[in-house]
Amino acid sequence: MRPQLHEDTAATLVGLTIVALALAVTWAARPAVEPASRQAYPKGWPTPLSSTIDKPQTWADSPLEALCDKKGRSVVVPVLMGMGWVVLVGMAGALLGGRSVVRGLPGTVAVTALAGTAYLLAGQKVIHYYNLEYPLWALGVGLLIGNIVGVPAWLGRGLAGEFLIKTGLVIFGAEVLFGRLLELGLPGLLTAWIVTPIVLVTTYLAGVHLLKIPSRPLCMVVSADMSVCGVSAAIATGAACRAKKEELSLAIGLSLFFTVIMMVAMPPLIAWMGLDPIVGGAWIGGTIDATGAVVAAGEALGKEGGEVAATVKMIQNSMIGVIAFAVAVYWAGWVEHDGQQREGSLAAEAWRRFPKFILGFLVASLVCSWLFTRSPEAALWVDGTTTGFTSRLRGWLFCAGFVCMGLQTNFHELAPALGSGRPLVLYVAGQLLNLVLTLGMASLTFGWLFKKMVEP
Amino acid sequence: MSSLQATRPEMKRLVLGIAAVIAIWGGLLPALLRCPAIARHVARMEERGVNPTAMYYTELDRLPLRPEWVDRRLTLWP
Repeated sequence: MRPQLHEDTAATLVGLTIVALALAVTWAARPAVEPASRQAYPKGWPTPLSSTIDKPQTWADSPLEALCDKKGRSVVVPVLMGMGWVVLVGMAGALLGGRSVVRGLPGTVAVTALAGTAYLLAGQKVIHYYNLEYPLWALGVGLLIGNIVGVPAWLGRGLAGEFLIKTGLVIFGAEVLFGRLLELGLPGLLTAWIVTPIVLVTTYLAGVHLLKIPSRPLCMVVSADMSVCGVSAAIATGAACRAKKEELSLAIGLSLFFTVIMMVAMPPLIAWMGLDPIVGGAWIGGTIDATGAVVAAGEALGKEGGEVAATVKMIQNSMIGVIAFAVAVYWAGWVEHDGQQREGSLAAEAWRRFPKFILGFLVASLVCSWLFTRSPEAALWVDGTTTGFTSRLRGWLFCAGFVCMGLQTNFHELAPALGSGRPLVLYVAGQLLNLVLTLGMASLTFGWLFKKMVEP
Repeated sequence: MSSLQATRPEMKRLVLGIAAVIAIWGGLLPALLRCPAIARHVARMEERGVNPTAMYYTELDRLPLRPEWVDRRLTLWP
Protein backbone atom coordinates (compact mmCIF):
# COMPACT_ATOMS: atom_id res chain seq x y z
CA MET A 1 0.00 0.00 0.00
CA ARG A 2 1.36 3.45 -0.92
CA PRO A 3 1.73 6.11 1.77
CA GLN A 4 -0.41 9.20 1.21
CA LEU A 5 1.20 11.94 3.22
CA HIS A 6 0.00 15.52 3.15
CA GLU A 7 2.20 17.67 0.91
CA ASP A 8 3.47 19.72 3.89
CA THR A 9 4.49 16.57 5.78
CA ALA A 10 6.21 15.10 2.73
CA ALA A 11 8.10 18.37 2.09
CA THR A 12 9.20 18.49 5.74
CA LEU A 13 10.37 14.87 5.70
CA VAL A 14 12.28 15.20 2.43
CA GLY A 15 13.77 18.58 3.35
CA LEU A 16 14.95 17.59 6.82
CA THR A 17 16.38 14.30 5.51
CA ILE A 18 18.42 16.21 2.93
CA VAL A 19 19.72 18.69 5.54
CA ALA A 20 20.68 15.84 7.92
CA LEU A 21 22.36 13.93 5.09
CA ALA A 22 24.28 17.01 3.97
CA LEU A 23 25.48 17.76 7.52
CA ALA A 24 26.55 14.13 7.99
CA VAL A 25 28.52 14.01 4.73
CA THR A 26 30.27 17.33 5.46
CA TRP A 27 31.14 16.13 8.97
CA ALA A 28 32.51 12.83 7.64
CA ALA A 29 34.82 14.73 5.27
CA ARG A 30 35.85 17.40 7.83
CA PRO A 31 39.36 18.78 7.32
CA ALA A 32 42.14 17.48 9.55
CA VAL A 33 44.18 20.69 9.31
CA GLU A 34 43.03 23.87 11.06
CA PRO A 35 39.35 22.87 11.21
CA ALA A 36 38.49 26.02 13.20
CA SER A 37 40.20 28.54 10.93
CA ARG A 38 37.92 30.99 9.15
CA GLN A 39 40.97 32.20 7.19
CA ALA A 40 41.63 28.67 5.87
CA TYR A 41 37.95 27.99 5.12
CA PRO A 42 36.27 31.36 4.42
CA LYS A 43 33.06 29.69 3.18
CA GLY A 44 33.12 26.88 5.73
CA TRP A 45 34.43 23.33 5.46
CA PRO A 46 34.51 22.09 1.86
CA THR A 47 31.83 19.46 1.37
CA PRO A 48 32.13 16.58 -1.13
CA LEU A 49 28.47 17.18 -2.00
CA SER A 50 29.40 20.44 -3.73
CA SER A 51 30.77 18.40 -6.64
CA THR A 52 27.30 16.87 -7.11
CA ILE A 53 25.51 20.12 -7.82
CA ASP A 54 26.09 23.36 -9.68
CA LYS A 55 24.27 25.64 -12.07
CA PRO A 56 25.17 27.09 -15.49
CA GLN A 57 27.82 29.81 -15.07
CA THR A 58 27.80 33.40 -16.34
CA TRP A 59 28.37 33.94 -20.07
CA ALA A 60 28.92 36.88 -22.39
CA ASP A 61 28.47 35.97 -26.07
CA SER A 62 27.65 32.28 -26.26
CA PRO A 63 25.60 30.13 -23.85
CA LEU A 64 28.27 27.44 -24.29
CA GLU A 65 30.52 29.57 -22.06
CA ALA A 66 28.08 28.75 -19.24
CA LEU A 67 29.33 25.17 -19.23
CA CYS A 68 32.75 26.09 -17.81
CA ASP A 69 33.53 27.80 -14.50
CA LYS A 70 35.92 30.74 -13.98
CA LYS A 71 38.88 28.37 -13.85
CA GLY A 72 37.92 26.77 -17.16
CA ARG A 73 36.69 23.49 -15.64
CA SER A 74 33.59 21.91 -17.14
CA VAL A 75 30.46 22.10 -14.98
CA VAL A 76 28.36 19.86 -17.24
CA VAL A 77 28.40 16.89 -14.86
CA PRO A 78 27.56 18.85 -11.66
CA VAL A 79 24.82 20.74 -13.54
CA LEU A 80 23.29 17.48 -14.75
CA MET A 81 23.63 16.01 -11.26
CA GLY A 82 21.96 19.12 -9.82
CA MET A 83 19.05 18.50 -12.16
CA GLY A 84 19.12 14.88 -11.00
CA TRP A 85 18.68 16.06 -7.37
CA VAL A 86 15.53 17.98 -8.40
CA VAL A 87 14.14 14.91 -10.17
CA LEU A 88 14.91 12.80 -7.09
CA VAL A 89 13.11 15.26 -4.80
CA GLY A 90 10.14 15.34 -7.20
CA MET A 91 10.01 11.53 -7.26
CA ALA A 92 10.22 11.36 -3.45
CA GLY A 93 7.30 13.80 -3.28
CA ALA A 94 5.24 11.69 -5.68
CA LEU A 95 6.05 8.51 -3.75
CA LEU A 96 5.19 9.99 -0.34
CA GLY A 97 2.09 11.67 -1.75
CA GLY A 98 0.77 8.37 -3.10
CA ARG A 99 1.12 9.33 -6.77
CA SER A 100 2.70 7.28 -9.52
CA VAL A 101 6.41 8.02 -9.77
CA VAL A 102 6.69 6.60 -13.30
CA ARG A 103 3.78 8.60 -14.71
CA GLY A 104 5.11 11.85 -13.24
CA LEU A 105 8.74 11.28 -14.23
CA PRO A 106 8.69 12.69 -17.82
CA GLY A 107 7.00 15.86 -16.61
CA THR A 108 9.46 16.31 -13.73
CA VAL A 109 12.42 15.83 -16.10
CA ALA A 110 10.95 18.39 -18.52
CA VAL A 111 10.36 20.94 -15.72
CA THR A 112 13.94 20.44 -14.53
CA ALA A 113 15.26 20.98 -18.06
CA LEU A 114 13.23 24.21 -18.28
CA ALA A 115 14.71 25.26 -14.93
CA GLY A 116 18.16 24.71 -16.46
CA THR A 117 17.12 26.91 -19.39
CA ALA A 118 15.99 29.63 -16.96
CA TYR A 119 19.36 29.47 -15.18
CA LEU A 120 21.08 29.74 -18.58
CA LEU A 121 19.06 32.87 -19.45
CA ALA A 122 19.82 34.37 -16.02
CA GLY A 123 23.54 33.71 -16.52
CA GLN A 124 24.02 36.16 -19.39
CA LYS A 125 26.35 38.81 -17.94
CA VAL A 126 24.15 41.88 -18.55
CA ILE A 127 21.22 40.07 -16.89
CA HIS A 128 23.40 38.67 -14.09
CA TYR A 129 25.28 41.82 -13.16
CA TYR A 130 22.12 43.94 -13.20
CA ASN A 131 20.50 41.53 -10.76
CA LEU A 132 17.65 40.13 -12.85
CA GLU A 133 17.50 36.92 -10.84
CA TYR A 134 16.53 33.46 -12.07
CA PRO A 135 12.93 33.48 -10.67
CA LEU A 136 12.01 36.05 -13.31
CA TRP A 137 13.23 33.83 -16.14
CA ALA A 138 11.83 30.65 -14.62
CA LEU A 139 8.40 32.30 -14.43
CA GLY A 140 8.89 33.74 -17.94
CA VAL A 141 9.79 30.38 -19.50
CA GLY A 142 6.78 28.75 -17.82
CA LEU A 143 4.41 31.57 -18.77
CA LEU A 144 5.60 31.52 -22.39
CA ILE A 145 5.02 27.81 -22.84
CA GLY A 146 1.91 27.54 -20.66
CA ASN A 147 0.12 30.45 -22.30
CA ILE A 148 1.05 29.69 -25.88
CA VAL A 149 0.81 25.93 -26.35
CA GLY A 150 -0.63 24.92 -22.99
CA VAL A 151 0.39 22.14 -20.67
CA PRO A 152 0.10 18.63 -22.10
CA ALA A 153 -1.17 15.92 -19.75
CA TRP A 154 2.22 14.17 -19.44
CA LEU A 155 3.82 17.47 -18.36
CA GLY A 156 0.93 18.32 -16.06
CA ARG A 157 1.51 15.12 -14.07
CA GLY A 158 5.03 16.31 -13.24
CA LEU A 159 4.03 19.77 -12.07
CA ALA A 160 4.68 19.76 -8.35
CA GLY A 161 5.66 23.42 -7.97
CA GLU A 162 4.28 23.89 -4.47
CA PHE A 163 5.97 20.73 -3.22
CA LEU A 164 9.33 21.77 -4.71
CA ILE A 165 9.09 25.27 -3.21
CA LYS A 166 8.02 23.95 0.21
CA THR A 167 10.88 21.43 0.22
CA GLY A 168 13.25 24.20 -0.87
CA LEU A 169 12.01 26.32 2.04
CA VAL A 170 12.60 23.54 4.59
CA ILE A 171 16.16 23.15 3.24
CA PHE A 172 16.48 26.95 3.26
CA GLY A 173 15.91 26.82 7.04
CA ALA A 174 19.47 25.51 7.43
CA GLU A 175 20.77 28.85 6.09
CA VAL A 176 18.68 31.01 8.44
CA LEU A 177 21.04 31.22 11.42
CA PHE A 178 20.02 33.22 14.46
CA GLY A 179 23.67 33.52 15.54
CA ARG A 180 24.24 35.78 12.55
CA LEU A 181 21.92 38.34 14.16
CA LEU A 182 24.63 39.55 16.49
CA GLU A 183 27.31 40.02 13.83
CA LEU A 184 27.02 43.80 13.95
CA GLY A 185 26.11 44.14 17.59
CA LEU A 186 23.54 46.62 18.80
CA PRO A 187 23.71 49.18 15.95
CA GLY A 188 23.05 46.47 13.39
CA LEU A 189 20.21 45.01 15.42
CA LEU A 190 18.58 48.42 15.90
CA THR A 191 18.83 49.25 12.19
CA ALA A 192 17.55 45.90 10.93
CA TRP A 193 15.17 44.77 13.65
CA ILE A 194 13.32 47.93 14.62
CA VAL A 195 12.68 49.47 11.22
CA THR A 196 11.90 46.25 9.32
CA PRO A 197 8.88 45.10 11.40
CA ILE A 198 7.51 48.67 11.53
CA VAL A 199 7.70 48.99 7.73
CA LEU A 200 6.31 45.49 7.19
CA VAL A 201 3.26 45.98 9.41
CA THR A 202 2.59 49.58 8.29
CA THR A 203 2.79 48.68 4.59
CA TYR A 204 0.55 45.65 5.04
CA LEU A 205 -2.08 47.66 6.94
CA ALA A 206 -1.90 50.47 4.38
CA GLY A 207 -2.46 47.97 1.57
CA VAL A 208 -5.48 46.41 3.30
CA HIS A 209 -7.14 49.50 4.78
CA LEU A 210 -5.98 52.55 2.82
CA LEU A 211 -5.46 51.19 -0.69
CA LYS A 212 -8.16 48.56 -0.11
CA ILE A 213 -6.36 45.88 -2.10
CA PRO A 214 -8.81 42.96 -1.99
CA SER A 215 -6.17 40.27 -1.50
CA ARG A 216 -4.54 40.28 1.95
CA PRO A 217 -1.88 37.72 0.90
CA LEU A 218 -0.82 40.05 -1.94
CA CYS A 219 -0.43 42.93 0.56
CA MET A 220 1.63 40.70 2.85
CA VAL A 221 3.90 39.34 0.11
CA VAL A 222 4.57 42.81 -1.35
CA SER A 223 5.24 44.19 2.15
CA ALA A 224 7.58 41.34 3.08
CA ASP A 225 9.66 41.32 -0.09
CA MET A 226 10.03 45.11 0.11
CA SER A 227 10.88 45.32 3.82
CA VAL A 228 12.83 42.11 4.51
CA CYS A 229 14.93 40.68 1.71
CA GLY A 230 13.23 40.44 -1.64
CA VAL A 231 12.48 37.18 -3.39
CA SER A 232 13.44 34.84 -0.53
CA ALA A 233 11.14 36.71 1.88
CA ALA A 234 8.36 36.73 -0.71
CA ILE A 235 8.63 32.95 -1.13
CA ALA A 236 8.69 32.29 2.63
CA THR A 237 5.82 34.61 3.56
CA GLY A 238 3.87 33.71 0.41
CA ALA A 239 3.94 30.09 1.50
CA ALA A 240 3.03 31.04 5.08
CA CYS A 241 -0.04 33.07 4.03
CA ARG A 242 -0.97 30.84 1.07
CA ALA A 243 -0.57 33.57 -1.55
CA LYS A 244 -1.72 32.63 -5.05
CA LYS A 245 1.00 31.95 -7.59
CA GLU A 246 0.11 35.01 -9.65
CA GLU A 247 0.33 37.19 -6.51
CA LEU A 248 3.76 35.82 -5.71
CA SER A 249 4.84 36.36 -9.34
CA LEU A 250 3.69 39.99 -9.19
CA ALA A 251 5.46 40.67 -5.89
CA ILE A 252 8.70 39.14 -7.19
CA GLY A 253 8.49 41.16 -10.42
CA LEU A 254 8.02 44.42 -8.46
CA SER A 255 10.89 43.60 -6.14
CA LEU A 256 13.34 42.76 -8.94
CA PHE A 257 12.40 45.87 -10.93
CA PHE A 258 12.97 48.28 -8.03
CA THR A 259 16.06 46.43 -6.84
CA VAL A 260 17.80 47.15 -10.15
CA ILE A 261 16.90 50.86 -9.90
CA MET A 262 18.00 51.17 -6.26
CA MET A 263 21.21 49.20 -6.84
CA VAL A 264 22.25 51.69 -9.52
CA ALA A 265 20.85 54.88 -7.95
CA MET A 266 21.69 54.62 -4.24
CA PRO A 267 25.53 54.83 -4.28
CA PRO A 268 25.58 58.11 -6.29
CA LEU A 269 22.71 59.42 -4.14
CA ILE A 270 24.70 58.69 -0.97
CA ALA A 271 27.75 60.43 -2.44
CA TRP A 272 25.61 63.41 -3.46
CA MET A 273 24.12 63.65 0.04
CA GLY A 274 27.61 63.50 1.53
CA LEU A 275 26.68 60.67 3.89
CA ASP A 276 29.31 58.85 5.89
CA PRO A 277 30.03 55.56 4.01
CA ILE A 278 29.19 53.50 7.10
CA VAL A 279 25.80 55.22 7.50
CA GLY A 280 25.28 54.89 3.74
CA GLY A 281 26.18 51.19 3.93
CA ALA A 282 23.64 50.61 6.69
CA TRP A 283 21.05 52.52 4.65
CA ILE A 284 21.71 50.37 1.58
CA GLY A 285 21.70 47.15 3.64
CA GLY A 286 18.37 48.01 5.23
CA THR A 287 16.55 49.11 2.10
CA ILE A 288 17.65 47.32 -1.10
CA ASP A 289 15.67 44.09 -1.31
CA ALA A 290 18.09 41.55 -2.75
CA THR A 291 21.21 40.46 -0.87
CA GLY A 292 23.48 40.36 -3.92
CA ALA A 293 22.35 43.81 -5.03
CA VAL A 294 23.16 45.15 -1.54
CA VAL A 295 26.71 43.85 -1.87
CA ALA A 296 27.01 45.26 -5.39
CA ALA A 297 25.82 48.72 -4.28
CA GLY A 298 27.76 48.61 -1.00
CA GLU A 299 31.04 47.92 -2.82
CA ALA A 300 30.78 51.38 -4.37
CA LEU A 301 31.04 52.94 -0.88
CA GLY A 302 34.40 51.36 -0.08
CA LYS A 303 35.51 48.59 2.28
CA GLU A 304 33.83 49.72 5.50
CA GLY A 305 30.59 50.81 3.84
CA GLY A 306 30.42 47.57 1.86
CA GLU A 307 31.01 45.47 5.00
CA VAL A 308 28.27 47.27 6.92
CA ALA A 309 25.82 47.01 3.98
CA ALA A 310 26.38 43.24 3.61
CA THR A 311 26.18 42.58 7.32
CA VAL A 312 23.01 44.63 7.92
CA LYS A 313 21.43 42.67 5.06
CA MET A 314 22.63 39.40 6.58
CA ILE A 315 20.95 40.36 9.88
CA GLN A 316 17.75 41.16 7.96
CA ASN A 317 18.09 37.83 6.12
CA SER A 318 18.05 36.07 9.49
CA MET A 319 14.65 37.59 10.26
CA ILE A 320 12.92 35.48 7.61
CA GLY A 321 12.35 32.58 10.01
CA VAL A 322 10.68 34.69 12.68
CA ILE A 323 8.61 36.63 10.15
CA ALA A 324 7.44 33.56 8.22
CA PHE A 325 6.43 31.90 11.49
CA ALA A 326 4.62 35.03 12.75
CA VAL A 327 2.79 35.42 9.42
CA ALA A 328 1.74 31.74 9.44
CA VAL A 329 0.38 32.05 13.01
CA TYR A 330 -1.42 35.35 12.24
CA TRP A 331 -2.94 33.91 9.07
CA ALA A 332 -4.03 30.67 10.65
CA GLY A 333 -5.43 32.32 13.77
CA TRP A 334 -6.88 35.60 12.60
CA VAL A 335 -7.10 36.06 8.81
CA GLU A 336 -8.32 32.76 7.38
CA HIS A 337 -11.32 32.35 9.66
CA ASP A 338 -12.45 35.98 9.18
CA GLY A 339 -16.22 36.11 9.46
CA GLN A 340 -16.53 32.36 9.92
CA GLN A 341 -17.56 30.34 12.96
CA ARG A 342 -14.48 29.01 14.71
CA GLU A 343 -14.26 25.23 15.26
CA GLY A 344 -12.95 24.79 18.82
CA SER A 345 -10.44 27.09 20.48
CA LEU A 346 -8.36 29.69 18.67
CA ALA A 347 -5.24 27.58 19.23
CA ALA A 348 -6.89 24.44 17.81
CA GLU A 349 -8.21 26.34 14.82
CA ALA A 350 -4.83 27.99 14.23
CA TRP A 351 -3.07 24.63 14.41
CA ARG A 352 -5.53 23.07 11.96
CA ARG A 353 -4.86 25.79 9.39
CA PHE A 354 -1.16 26.25 10.13
CA PRO A 355 1.10 25.36 7.14
CA LYS A 356 3.01 22.51 8.79
CA PHE A 357 6.09 22.67 6.55
CA ILE A 358 6.93 26.00 8.27
CA LEU A 359 7.71 23.83 11.31
CA GLY A 360 10.21 21.86 9.19
CA PHE A 361 11.77 25.17 8.15
CA LEU A 362 12.00 26.24 11.82
CA VAL A 363 13.45 22.89 12.94
CA ALA A 364 16.19 23.12 10.29
CA SER A 365 16.86 26.74 11.27
CA LEU A 366 16.95 26.10 15.03
CA VAL A 367 19.14 22.99 14.77
CA CYS A 368 21.66 24.67 12.45
CA SER A 369 21.58 27.88 14.55
CA TRP A 370 22.30 25.82 17.68
CA LEU A 371 25.15 23.96 15.92
CA PHE A 372 26.51 27.26 14.57
CA THR A 373 26.97 28.67 18.06
CA ARG A 374 28.55 25.54 19.60
CA SER A 375 32.15 26.19 18.47
CA PRO A 376 34.16 27.78 15.65
CA GLU A 377 34.48 24.29 14.07
CA ALA A 378 30.71 23.77 14.16
CA ALA A 379 30.15 27.21 12.59
CA LEU A 380 32.42 26.24 9.69
CA TRP A 381 30.65 22.88 9.45
CA VAL A 382 27.26 24.59 9.04
CA ASP A 383 28.62 27.26 6.68
CA GLY A 384 30.31 24.64 4.48
CA THR A 385 27.16 22.53 4.29
CA THR A 386 24.92 25.45 3.40
CA THR A 387 27.19 27.30 0.99
CA GLY A 388 28.50 24.15 -0.68
CA PHE A 389 25.31 22.16 -1.04
CA THR A 390 21.96 23.12 0.51
CA SER A 391 21.85 26.67 -0.92
CA ARG A 392 22.54 25.29 -4.40
CA LEU A 393 19.87 22.60 -4.11
CA ARG A 394 17.41 25.14 -2.68
CA GLY A 395 18.12 27.35 -5.73
CA TRP A 396 17.37 24.51 -8.15
CA LEU A 397 14.16 23.59 -6.29
CA PHE A 398 12.93 27.20 -6.28
CA CYS A 399 13.82 27.55 -9.96
CA ALA A 400 11.90 24.39 -10.91
CA GLY A 401 9.04 25.51 -8.63
CA PHE A 402 8.84 28.85 -10.43
CA VAL A 403 8.79 27.11 -13.82
CA CYS A 404 5.77 25.12 -12.60
CA MET A 405 4.12 28.32 -11.33
CA GLY A 406 4.65 29.97 -14.72
CA LEU A 407 3.25 26.96 -16.57
CA GLN A 408 0.14 27.00 -14.39
CA THR A 409 -0.44 30.77 -14.49
CA ASN A 410 -2.74 32.30 -17.03
CA PHE A 411 -1.87 35.80 -18.27
CA HIS A 412 -5.53 36.73 -17.76
CA GLU A 413 -5.25 35.91 -14.05
CA LEU A 414 -2.39 38.41 -13.70
CA ALA A 415 -4.29 41.19 -15.47
CA PRO A 416 -6.62 42.35 -12.62
CA ALA A 417 -3.77 42.66 -10.14
CA LEU A 418 -1.56 44.46 -12.66
CA GLY A 419 -4.36 46.61 -14.05
CA SER A 420 -5.36 48.29 -10.79
CA GLY A 421 -1.82 49.59 -10.21
CA ARG A 422 -2.44 49.47 -6.45
CA PRO A 423 0.27 46.87 -5.67
CA LEU A 424 2.77 49.18 -7.42
CA VAL A 425 1.59 52.14 -5.31
CA LEU A 426 1.85 49.97 -2.19
CA TYR A 427 5.40 48.93 -3.04
CA VAL A 428 6.55 52.49 -3.81
CA ALA A 429 4.89 54.00 -0.71
CA GLY A 430 6.28 51.25 1.52
CA GLN A 431 9.76 51.60 0.07
CA LEU A 432 9.69 55.38 0.61
CA LEU A 433 8.77 54.82 4.27
CA ASN A 434 11.53 52.22 4.48
CA LEU A 435 14.07 54.66 3.00
CA VAL A 436 13.16 57.45 5.42
CA LEU A 437 13.01 55.31 8.58
CA THR A 438 16.16 53.34 7.76
CA LEU A 439 18.12 56.51 7.00
CA GLY A 440 16.95 57.96 10.32
CA MET A 441 17.88 54.83 12.28
CA ALA A 442 21.22 54.36 10.47
CA SER A 443 22.14 57.99 11.15
CA LEU A 444 21.12 57.61 14.80
CA THR A 445 22.96 54.34 15.45
CA PHE A 446 25.95 54.27 13.11
CA GLY A 447 26.29 58.04 12.74
CA TRP A 448 25.79 59.22 16.33
CA LEU A 449 25.03 56.79 19.18
CA PHE A 450 27.75 54.28 18.29
CA LYS A 451 29.87 56.53 16.10
CA LYS A 452 33.09 56.02 18.06
CA MET A 453 32.65 52.27 18.01
CA VAL A 454 32.18 51.99 14.28
CA GLU A 455 34.81 54.46 13.14
CA PRO A 456 37.58 52.58 11.30
CA MET B 1 -5.15 25.42 -22.31
CA SER B 2 -4.36 21.86 -21.47
CA SER B 3 -4.23 19.88 -24.68
CA LEU B 4 -1.19 18.40 -26.32
CA GLN B 5 -2.45 19.21 -29.79
CA ALA B 6 -1.16 22.73 -30.30
CA THR B 7 -2.83 24.41 -33.25
CA ARG B 8 -0.87 26.02 -36.09
CA PRO B 9 -1.28 29.58 -34.71
CA GLU B 10 -0.14 28.37 -31.28
CA MET B 11 2.92 26.71 -32.77
CA LYS B 12 3.61 29.86 -34.77
CA ARG B 13 3.45 31.97 -31.60
CA LEU B 14 5.74 29.54 -29.78
CA VAL B 15 8.30 29.64 -32.61
CA LEU B 16 8.10 33.45 -32.61
CA GLY B 17 8.59 33.51 -28.85
CA ILE B 18 11.62 31.25 -29.03
CA ALA B 19 13.03 33.30 -31.92
CA ALA B 20 12.64 36.47 -29.83
CA VAL B 21 14.49 34.85 -26.92
CA ILE B 22 17.32 33.74 -29.24
CA ALA B 23 17.53 37.22 -30.80
CA ILE B 24 17.64 38.98 -27.42
CA TRP B 25 20.04 36.63 -25.67
CA GLY B 26 22.12 35.84 -28.73
CA GLY B 27 22.33 39.32 -30.26
CA LEU B 28 21.00 42.21 -28.22
CA LEU B 29 22.44 41.37 -24.79
CA PRO B 30 25.95 40.52 -26.08
CA ALA B 31 25.86 43.83 -28.00
CA LEU B 32 24.79 45.70 -24.85
CA LEU B 33 27.76 44.18 -23.07
CA ARG B 34 30.01 46.21 -25.36
CA CYS B 35 28.43 49.56 -24.30
CA PRO B 36 31.08 51.38 -22.23
CA ALA B 37 28.87 52.05 -19.17
CA ILE B 38 27.58 48.48 -18.98
CA ALA B 39 31.02 47.02 -19.69
CA ARG B 40 32.48 49.12 -16.85
CA HIS B 41 29.79 47.96 -14.40
CA VAL B 42 30.28 44.30 -15.36
CA ALA B 43 34.09 44.58 -15.19
CA ARG B 44 33.89 46.22 -11.73
CA MET B 45 31.60 43.50 -10.40
CA GLU B 46 33.80 40.73 -11.84
CA GLU B 47 36.98 42.30 -10.53
CA ARG B 48 35.54 42.50 -7.00
CA GLY B 49 33.97 39.05 -7.15
CA VAL B 50 30.44 40.36 -6.49
CA ASN B 51 27.45 38.17 -7.27
CA PRO B 52 24.55 40.65 -7.51
CA THR B 53 21.96 37.91 -8.07
CA ALA B 54 22.59 36.25 -4.70
CA MET B 55 19.16 35.75 -3.19
CA TYR B 56 20.60 35.08 0.28
CA TYR B 57 23.95 35.71 1.92
CA THR B 58 24.96 32.05 1.59
CA GLU B 59 25.09 32.52 -2.21
CA LEU B 60 27.66 35.31 -2.04
CA ASP B 61 31.14 34.56 -3.37
CA ARG B 62 32.52 35.80 -0.03
CA LEU B 63 30.53 35.46 3.20
CA PRO B 64 30.19 38.80 5.00
CA LEU B 65 32.72 38.77 7.84
CA ARG B 66 32.17 40.34 11.22
CA PRO B 67 33.85 43.77 10.93
CA GLU B 68 36.70 44.12 13.40
CA TRP B 69 35.19 47.18 15.09
CA VAL B 70 32.33 45.08 16.45
CA ASP B 71 34.74 43.50 18.91
CA ARG B 72 36.04 46.82 20.19
CA ARG B 73 34.83 48.15 23.49
CA LEU B 74 31.39 49.65 23.11
CA THR B 75 31.39 53.39 23.69
CA LEU B 76 28.02 55.00 24.02
CA TRP B 77 27.63 58.60 22.86
CA PRO B 78 30.28 60.41 20.82
